[in-house]
Amino acid sequence: MSVPPTLALRAVSKSFGMTAALADMTLELFPGEVHAIVGENGAGKSTMIKIMTGIYQPSSGVLEIDGAAVVLAGTKAARLRGVAAIYQEPMVFPDLDVTENIFISSTDAGLFMDRRAMRKRAQALIARVGMTLDVDREARGLTLAEQQAVEIARALSQDVQVLIMDEPTASLSAHEAAELRRIAKALAASGVSVVYISHRLEEVFEIADRVTVIRDGRHISTRPVAEVTPQGLIADMVGREVGNYFTKMPSVAQDEVVLSVRRLARTGVFEGITFDLHRGEVLCMAGLIGARRTDVALALFGVHPATGGEVRYKGQAVHVTSPAQAIGMGIAYVSEDRRKLGLAMPLSIRSNISLATLAQYLSPLGLIDRAAERETAMAYRKRLAIRAPDVEMAVGVLSGGNQQTVMLAKWLALKPELLIVDEPTRGIDVGAKAEVHDLIRAFVKDGGTALVISSDLPEVLALGDRIVVMREGRQMGIVASADATQEGIMAVATGQSAAA
Amino acid sequence: MIARLKSWEGFLLVVLALIIAVNAGLSPEFLTVGNQINLFQLSIEKIIVALVMTFIIINGEIDLSVGSMMGLAACAFGWLVKEQGVAAPVAIGGALMIGVLGGALNGWFITKVGLPSLVVTLATLIGFRGLARVLVEDRGLTDFPNWFDALGQKGLIGPVPFALIAFALLFGVLYVVLERSGFGRKTQVIGTNREVAEFAGIDTNRHKMVLFIASGAISAFAGLLYAARVGAVRGDVANGFELDIITIVLLGGVSIFGGTGTLIGTLLAILIVLNIRNGMALMSITGHIQTGVIGLLLIASVIVPRLTPSRAKEAA
Amino acid sequence: MGFFHRLSPQGLRLLALIGVIVLLLGFFSSQIEGYMNARLFSRISGSVAIMALIATAQTLVILTRNIDLSIGSVVGFVAFAAGNMVSGAPDMNPVLLVLYCMAVGAVFGAVNGLIVAYARVPSIIVTLATMAIFRSLLVEYSDGKSITTSTLPGWLTEFPNLPLFTLFGLEFRAAFVASLVVVILVHLALTRLRPMRQVFAVGSNPEAAEMAGIDARRVVFGAFVLSGALAGLAGLLFLARFGNITVVAGLGFELKSVASAVVGGVNIFGGSGSVIGALLGAVLVDVIDTSLVRWAIVSEFWREAVLGALILLSVTTDTLFTRRLIAFRARRRAAREVRP
Repeated sequence: MSVPPTLALRAVSKSFGMTAALADMTLELFPGEVHAIVGENGAGKSTMIKIMTGIYQPSSGVLEIDGAAVVLAGTKAARLRGVAAIYQEPMVFPDLDVTENIFISSTDAGLFMDRRAMRKRAQALIARVGMTLDVDREARGLTLAEQQAVEIARALSQDVQVLIMDEPTASLSAHEAAELRRIAKALAASGVSVVYISHRLEEVFEIADRVTVIRDGRHISTRPVAEVTPQGLIADMVGREVGNYFTKMPSVAQDEVVLSVRRLARTGVFEGITFDLHRGEVLCMAGLIGARRTDVALALFGVHPATGGEVRYKGQAVHVTSPAQAIGMGIAYVSEDRRKLGLAMPLSIRSNISLATLAQYLSPLGLIDRAAERETAMAYRKRLAIRAPDVEMAVGVLSGGNQQTVMLAKWLALKPELLIVDEPTRGIDVGAKAEVHDLIRAFVKDGGTALVISSDLPEVLALGDRIVVMREGRQMGIVASADATQEGIMAVATGQSAAA
Repeated sequence: MIARLKSWEGFLLVVLALIIAVNAGLSPEFLTVGNQINLFQLSIEKIIVALVMTFIIINGEIDLSVGSMMGLAACAFGWLVKEQGVAAPVAIGGALMIGVLGGALNGWFITKVGLPSLVVTLATLIGFRGLARVLVEDRGLTDFPNWFDALGQKGLIGPVPFALIAFALLFGVLYVVLERSGFGRKTQVIGTNREVAEFAGIDTNRHKMVLFIASGAISAFAGLLYAARVGAVRGDVANGFELDIITIVLLGGVSIFGGTGTLIGTLLAILIVLNIRNGMALMSITGHIQTGVIGLLLIASVIVPRLTPSRAKEAA
Repeated sequence: MGFFHRLSPQGLRLLALIGVIVLLLGFFSSQIEGYMNARLFSRISGSVAIMALIATAQTLVILTRNIDLSIGSVVGFVAFAAGNMVSGAPDMNPVLLVLYCMAVGAVFGAVNGLIVAYARVPSIIVTLATMAIFRSLLVEYSDGKSITTSTLPGWLTEFPNLPLFTLFGLEFRAAFVASLVVVILVHLALTRLRPMRQVFAVGSNPEAAEMAGIDARRVVFGAFVLSGALAGLAGLLFLARFGNITVVAGLGFELKSVASAVVGGVNIFGGSGSVIGALLGAVLVDVIDTSLVRWAIVSEFWREAVLGALILLSVTTDTLFTRRLIAFRARRRAAREVRP
C-alpha cells in the first residue's frame, strides 16, 4: 500500500510502575479498512486504545497520524485529529437529547446552537448510521445499541478518520450486533479506518479486512483475514506454554454434592445454568466479556437474586436474596473488582480481614477484641504470605497481588463451605498467581468447595477439575479439564463451535 | 493513609499550640481555669453535636438539620413546661423523644425512599425550625425551674458545669465506639465503600438509620443544654449552627466523601476554633471576622496537605 | 396521551409545578376573602424578583454537580458595596452600577470556581468557608456602618415598585420584570449556547464529558463566575428593595436558594433541571410564605414547617415518579426488543 497509514503505532510501549501493559507495539491502519484486533482479556487492547485516543501517553515509541509523528494531549486533541472511540458501555449524556449528544463538543460550530439546522444534521447522521431514532429524545431512555449509534454519529459529525470500536457488540442482541457490523462496514467503505475489537471471532471473519493478534502486551501477528483460519487465530491468542508455572494437581473431589444449580436464570441477563458442585471440587467458569459469569456468581451470593431456576445447597432448596444470608449459609464471594467491591482501601489489613467475620470478635458490649483480631490477621499474613511489615498498614498501599491475598484472607477467615472466586489472579504477577492457586487448592483439600470464574485459560485448565463454558448468558457445556484444551474452550467461548 | 491522618493531627496540634501561645501572650487571663471553662461553655452545644456529626460525615452522609433540631427541642421543652404545665423532667423526656423521632424521619427518607441526605436534611432544617416557631411563635419563654437553669449555668463538680462533663463523657464513649466497637468499624467501612460493606453482609440502611436517630437525639440534648445555659428559649435558638458544626468536623480532617476521620481530629479542631474565637475576642475582633478566619483555615486545611511532594505524587 | 409521551420528564415537572401553584392559589382564594387581587400579585412578584435570581444562580452551580453556600454572603456584600458606591455618587449611570454589581459578584464566583475546579476541593467545603470569608470581608469593608434608605438616590429605591405595564389588571413592576428578563435570558443561554449546554453535559456525565473533549474544569469555573454575577445582580435588587443594609444582609439565602432549586426540579446531583423550574420553585415557596400569613385557620408560624414538608414531598414524588418512568420505558423497550 503506497498511501501512508491514517494512524500508526511505531514500537510503542506503556508501563505502569513495574508492569508493562504494552511492549514494542506496532500497528498500521489504512483508510477504508476494518482492522480487527483480538486477544485475551488483559492482553493490552484497552491500553492501546487509550494511547490512540490521547488518554495515555506512550512511555516510549511514536504515534503517527497521516505519516507524521504526533503527541495527542487528550481526547480533545485526538478528536481534532479525527480519532474517536466508542465503547461497550457508551459515553452519552443521559440528561441531553440525541441532537445535543451529537453536537455538544463540536469545535467547528459556533457559539449559538441552531436547533433547527442541528436537528436536520442529527437526523442525517443518525440515518447514515442506519438507525431510526427520534433526535429529540433524552438519551436516558435509549437502548445500548441506540446510544452507540449516537456516539458513532458524534464521531461522524467531526469528520472522523479513525473510529475505534471497543467490544461494541458485547452487550447487544444478535440483531443489534448485525446492524452495528453493517454500520462499521459502511463507514469503512466511505474511507474511514475502523478498528474493531471483539471477542466474537465470527464477527471478525464477517467484517474485518485484516486482523491483528496481541498477547501479553505484545504484537503477535497481523494478517489479511482471508489468509487466516479461526484455529490459527485462537492458537495465536492463547499461544503461551501451559504448565510452566501452573502445575496440574490431582482432583480431591468427593461424592457429596454441596451446590446443585438447575436452570438458574435472571431475566434478560442469563439463563439455563445447570451444574452440580461436589465437596472438594474446583469448578471453573470460562468465557469472555459479556458471557455473564459474574452475574451468575452475584445471583448465587444474593446480590442480584435469580429470577428463575432452582438452587439446592447441602441438600436444601434455597433462595438467596442478600449477601448476609449467603454469608450465614457459609458462602463467600471474592469479587473481581478489588477497588470497587472488594476492599476498604484506607482501612488496615487487620480491619479488612475481619470484615466479614466481625461478629466473632465482638464482646457483649459490642467492642472489638482487637488482640484476637490482630492474631487472626497475623496468622493469615503468615499463611497467605502477605508481604506487609505490619497488619496495621492500609491495604491501599499494598501491591495488587497482596491486596488480592488480603481479600482472599477476608473470606477464608469466614471458614466458608463454598468459596466463589471471581478472576482470582487478574492483574497480579506470575509468582503471586501460583500462590493464589495453592491457596484455593489447600482450601478444597481441607473439605471446601470452590467455584472459580476466570478468563485466564491456562489457569482454568490447571485449577479446575471441571470447566463450565459460558457464552452470552448461556451455558455452552461442561467439560472435565483433563479432556479440554485452550483452543477447544476458546472456540466454544467465541462461538466457533457449539459445545466443548 | 493512616500515616497521613496521624500527621494531619500533628499539624492541627501545632496550629493549636501556636494559637494558645499567642493567646497566652495577649492576655494573662487566658490560661486561667475560669477562662478555659468559659471558652468551652460558650460553644458547648455546637461541640457536642460536632461529635455525632463526625460519625455522620465519616459514614458518607451529612445532617444539616441539627441546628433546627436543637431549636425545636429547646422550644418543645419551653412550651411543655411554661405553656402546657408539664413537669420539667417529663418535658426533657419529651424533647429527647422529639429528637429521636426527627432523626428517624431523616433516616426514613434517606434509607427507605433513597433520597440524598443533603436534600432531606435541608428540608428538615427548614421544617424542624418551622415546628419550633409553631410552638413558641414569636414569644420568648423563660423562668424555668431553678435546678434546670443551675444545671446549665453553675459548676456541677467544682467550677466544671454539667454540659462540659456531658461533653467529656460523650467524647469518651463515642471515641471508644468509633475506634473500638463493631459499630464504629462499620461506620468507617460504609463511609469508605458502601458496596464493600454490603458484600460483607452489613445492613447499611439500618446502620444509617441508627446514626440519624443518634444525631437527632444528641442535637435535642444539646438544645436542652442551650435552654438551660441561656435560661430562655426563642424560635431562633441555634439558628445556623449546622454550618459551624460541619466546619469544625471538616477542619478536623474528616473527609467530606466519607470513610476517613477521627474524633481526636474533631477534638483538636474544636480546641482550635474555640481558641481562635477566644483569642480574637480578646483582640476585640467581631464574630463574623472570627468565622471568616476559620473559613480560611478550612480551605487551607484541604489545600496545604496537597502541596507537599508526597501527596502531589499520590494525586498524579 | 401523545403529548405526555413526547414531553420530557423535565417538561412534565414544570407542568406539575404550575399545576401545584394554581391549585394552591385556588385553595387559598377559597379560604381567604379577597385573596386574589392585584396586591397579592405585586407582593409575590416583589419578593420573587430577588429569590428568582438567587435560585437561578444556585441552579447554574448545582447543574455542574456542585453547590454554592456562599451565595448569601455575596448578595450581602454586593448590596452593601453598591449602596456605598451609589450613596457617594447619587448621579452615577445606572448601567455602570449594574455592571459594577455583576463584576463584584463575578469576582467572588471566580474565587469559588478557581478553588473548586482547579484546586479540586469539594464545593461544599470551599463555599462553606467562603460563606464565612466573604461575610467577614463585608464586616471589614463596612467598618461597622450600615447603608440606610435615606442615603440612597430616589431612582434606585423607587425602581422595585416602578410600574412598567399592566396586563389583565396585574401591575408588572420594574424589579420583577427585570428579574424575569434575566431568568429568561439565562434560560435561553442555557438551552441555546453551546458552552452553556456543556454545563449540563459536565453535570450529567463528567467522564463522558472528558471523553468527548469538553474541558470540564473550565465549564465548572465558568458556571461559578456566572453564578456570582447573577448573585451580584440580586444584591443590587436587594439594596433597591430594602434600602437598609447591615452586615447580616442575605444571611440564609444559601439554603433558601438550594430549596427553591430543588423544589423546582433541579437534580441536586447535577445534569438536569432548568432555571425556569427554579423560578417556579421560588414562586411556589413565596406563594406559601405570603398566603399562610393571611390564612386565619393556621398561624403564620406554620410557614417554615409547611415549606419543609413541601420540599420533602416534592422531592419524594419526583424521585418515585422518575423511577417509575424509567422502569416503564425500560419495560416498553423490553417488550419491543426483538431477539431472533
